[in-house]
Amino acid sequence: MEGLAGLGTALLAFMTPVMLMHVAWATLLGIFVGSLPGLTATMGVALLTTLTYTMERDTAILVLICMYVGAIYGGSRSAILLNIPGTPASAATALDGYPLARQGKAGYAMALATAGSAFGTLVGIVLLVLLAPPLADVALSFGSFEYFWLAVFGIVISGQLTGGAHPLKGYIAGILGLGVAMIGSDGIHAHIRFSFDLQPLNGGIGLIPAMVGAFGFAEVLTVMWRRRAEMVEGRAGGDRVLPKLVDLWRYKFTAVRSGVIGTLVGIIPGVGEDIGAWASYAMARRFSRERAMFGKGSQEGLTAAETGNSAVVPGALIPALTLAVPGSAPAAVLIAALFLHGIRPGPMIMIEQPDFIYSVAAMLVMATIAIAVFGLSLTRVFVQVLRIPREFLMPVVFTLCVIGPYALTQRLFDVWVMVAFGMIGFVLRQMNYPMAPLVLGIILGDLLDKSLRRGLTLSDGDLSPFFTRPVSAAFCVMVVAVIMFSVPAVRRGLGRLVGRSEADA
Amino acid sequence: MSLNSPAADRITAALLFALGAGMTWGGFAMDRLEVRQIHPGSIPGLVPMILGVALMGCAVLLYVGARANPREDAEPGASWGSLGIAAAWSVTYAVAMVGNIPFVIATAIYIAAFVWWFTRPSAGEGGAVRRAVIAVGFGAVVAVAISVLFRYGFLVRLP
Repeated sequence: MEGLAGLGTALLAFMTPVMLMHVAWATLLGIFVGSLPGLTATMGVALLTTLTYTMERDTAILVLICMYVGAIYGGSRSAILLNIPGTPASAATALDGYPLARQGKAGYAMALATAGSAFGTLVGIVLLVLLAPPLADVALSFGSFEYFWLAVFGIVISGQLTGGAHPLKGYIAGILGLGVAMIGSDGIHAHIRFSFDLQPLNGGIGLIPAMVGAFGFAEVLTVMWRRRAEMVEGRAGGDRVLPKLVDLWRYKFTAVRSGVIGTLVGIIPGVGEDIGAWASYAMARRFSRERAMFGKGSQEGLTAAETGNSAVVPGALIPALTLAVPGSAPAAVLIAALFLHGIRPGPMIMIEQPDFIYSVAAMLVMATIAIAVFGLSLTRVFVQVLRIPREFLMPVVFTLCVIGPYALTQRLFDVWVMVAFGMIGFVLRQMNYPMAPLVLGIILGDLLDKSLRRGLTLSDGDLSPFFTRPVSAAFCVMVVAVIMFSVPAVRRGLGRLVGRSEADA
Repeated sequence: MSLNSPAADRITAALLFALGAGMTWGGFAMDRLEVRQIHPGSIPGLVPMILGVALMGCAVLLYVGARANPREDAEPGASWGSLGIAAAWSVTYAVAMVGNIPFVIATAIYIAAFVWWFTRPSAGEGGAVRRAVIAVGFGAVVAVAISVLFRYGFLVRLP
């Protein structure tokens, strides 16, 4: 109850004409960014971070959150009309959205996606308000030993879940990210590591230039490399654009379940919206009465995917705010933005700025209202946006990738970092290395490094507290279990075991 | 050779192993700050050493796995030519042009040339002049708009 009262107060505080204007333009920009293949939510938030650093704190965070929510929702547009997810989060949406569009129901599919996205975000907001304060309380009892394992767990689970069929590549991406974080001054003794006598490297690799490169420049290269997408012709956007209430009511259990699954996936460090969508989609298919329709234009499948990916957004902010561990790649950029604006995410947030979590929840509510309004009223406009030729869009995006990181520090070195990460990111992506663990590694590297060394100092070199303290032991067991599960022989053995017990039953 | 093939994985494994070995050695050889009498458990090279060993282990597993798992072909319809030109021109702009010539001019040249080149196949023979005019006009307008936004909107001293 206290949480909902806090949310109400925060909402009232944001109800000013200026704030509403910021919500409108930032959400609209987010939907455009998300709907254009090649522009992702992470890239949008990263680029916008560079543009909001002169803004007042709450305004800047509001703008970034609106961009995040809008971009995740906007990805459904190109997934439905082009069969190309605007963002990776909308990959599951394309499975049923595109067949619906081919049946002449593009407008209706987009409306259903709008309703699902809005509902999913709302479910996530409720869970954010309910779960974040107690999680921050629990995290207050964490010491160096627990934080070390939390960082390891984040990398391992992110590598496992985003690596898909190749969890090893996920782990490698995570280790590479941790390695990048080792460059520059260390967090305990301020000793310069791996700078190769290059003075700009003394401060380490900046997260924003690295993210803009890995998600911006790499995406520009990917778009120019791929063949052109074909838009569904004919009645795209010409049919009904308001979902029937009876349809929404019919899928109420699917929507609630997908919202909860999406939020829980969001809480898992570094996993992100795409996994939230796939997990919700798979669960909806499992319990659906119209299972055969999935992949052929199922409205339930589309609702599940969109509700699931949007619910990840508030979910990803739960660990980001309370532990400073991002639940997704865009949340990682948001953490960097919070630091830029003088907010220190972590367990102390409920003590230092107890109202901030409710402010974030209020920002999410406003962004949700905005996507519902724009999504249902501007369907035909978004269809036109998808017709912007990539040959015109991509050089503009790359120009922003260059000037954005430069604007933050006024150093050309950061532009070179962006270029290097873009090239490396493109190659790694083509080789099926996920980017999320890499980003998480850059964020968590400092925490892992400091926690391990501080813990060893506190225990005078004794390793046992890392394994005997209750929370540390629990994290350790989870890390080992996740790694074991990625071994094919173990997975096959578990599969046989489950199959046999089901047969016995 | 496709980037998503066993051969590519083997080459990557070798590179990652070398990187892991380098990190391990770098961590091992790093100053242990004995002169500052720090605790031996907090030496700066500790985590880089651990990460290096972990990376070498993963590289070995990647190499072994690459032999067993044949992969699918590269994405159909992908154009390596377009990729090469886009990458080369973009890197030239970011590394060589920005910082050496005024930002607004560098950006206008970059965008105009990019648009001009990549709209080439879709235009008919008679549209060459029109295409050039569109590319130059678009490049100039966008370059001025971005420069004004950052210079006067965000008070950034442009490179």
